[in-house]
Parts: sequence; structure tokens; C-alpha cells
Amino acid sequence: MPYTILLPNKFKKIGWIILVPAAILGIILIVNGFDAMPIKAKVFALYNDQILGKRESFTFINTNITNTIIGMLFIAGAVFVGFSREKKEDEFIANLRLSSLLWAVFVNYILLFLAFAFIYNMAFLVVMMYNMFTIMIIFIVRFNYILYRNSKSLEDDK
Amino acid sequence: MTNKIKIERAIKNLTQEELAYKVKVSRQTINAMEANKYVPSTVLALKIARIFNKMVEEIFILEKND
Repeated sequence: MPYTILLPNKFKKIGWIILVPAAILGIILIVNGFDAMPIKAKVFALYNDQILGKRESFTFINTNITNTIIGMLFIAGAVFVGFSREKKEDEFIANLRLSSLLWAVFVNYILLFLAFAFIYNMAFLVVMMYNMFTIMIIFIVRFNYILYRNSKSLEDDK
Repeated sequence: MTNKIKIERAIKNLTQEELAYKVKVSRQTINAMEANKYVPSTVLALKIARIFNKMVEEIFILEKND
């Protein structure tokens, strides 16, 4: 049974258009540090806790929003790509989507377990940053890889 | 579970695409079932049996380890 909670098929294409640049910009940002390419803006903060600074809530703050924008674009893109209907969405595809999601959560926690064991201090902070996105990345890669592999096997077998 | 979809398809002279269209699934699904990579839902099994005018058990067969 196809799931009704999925987005329409056209969101998948829109998702890729957002996701690919966001991923590239995200990698550039992590490599060059979060203060590279600053975009200053006044934004609403539910809660803001500065290092060695004051804590404030429900207020407007001036801050660098480059990572905010890139992070939000990445999440939107990844959700569009991962949770849009396929052109022909049916029970096999739905099954594949769920099994890929299970696979992604499982692999993600194995990787995180290893990171806990072997990565320390500031490097672990980087692991945590990547880990916010890895479930979606692993899910999208595995789901689309199997779809691709199946469509390949269709070509040899008429 | 194994199945005789490919054989029945050959008897009826249907392509994967045509069978897929008749039971409203993707061709990938038919292909995956024929390769024993996917076990269909009861609804889909019943639909396929109806296309071939057979009982479900004549097309889908349990195996020893099921």
C-alpha cells in the first residue's frame, strides 16, 4: 500500500536541486570553519546561549546565519529527496523505502558507536555535526542505489 | 516462498510491463518477485492470480524454510 504521508513526486527533483549545492556549501563550511563566508542578520531566537556570554530567550539577536541557512537547506533538500513519492510508487518501493530507513539508522548507530569509542575532544564535536545529517545521507544513498540496481537488472531481463 | 509468475506470463504471452500495468504496480515489482527478491502482499498475490485465472496457491508456493 503506498503511504499517503509522502510528498508528491516532483519534490524529489526540487530536493536534488537544493540538496547538492547545500551539501557542497556545507563541506566548504566545515573545512574552512564556521566564520568563513559570514552572512550577518538579525534573527529571532527562542534560546541563545553564548560561550562565556549571556543566556537569553525569546529575543532578536544579531548573528552569523551562514550555517543556519546551509543546514536548513540541506535538511529541506534531504527530506524532499528521501520522502517524495517515486513516479510509480507501489508496495515494493514502500517496502524498499522502509528497509532502507531501518538500514540507515542501524548503520548510523554502528558508526556513532565507533566514533564514541575512538574519537575524542574537539574531533568528536565534528563527528556530532556530521551525525546530524548522516541518517538521511545513508538512507538516500542506499534507497536510490537499490532502485538504480533494480532498474539496471530490468534492462538485461525483458 | 517461490512463484510461477514468469511461467504464467509466458503462457499468457504477457511482458513484465503489461502484467505490471494490469495489477497497478511498477515493472520493478514484477521483476523483483520473479527473482524471488520480494514477497508480495496478499492483495497483490490475489490480483496476480486473478489475471492468470488461477488459485493463489497454484502461482505462489511455500518453500521448506517458510
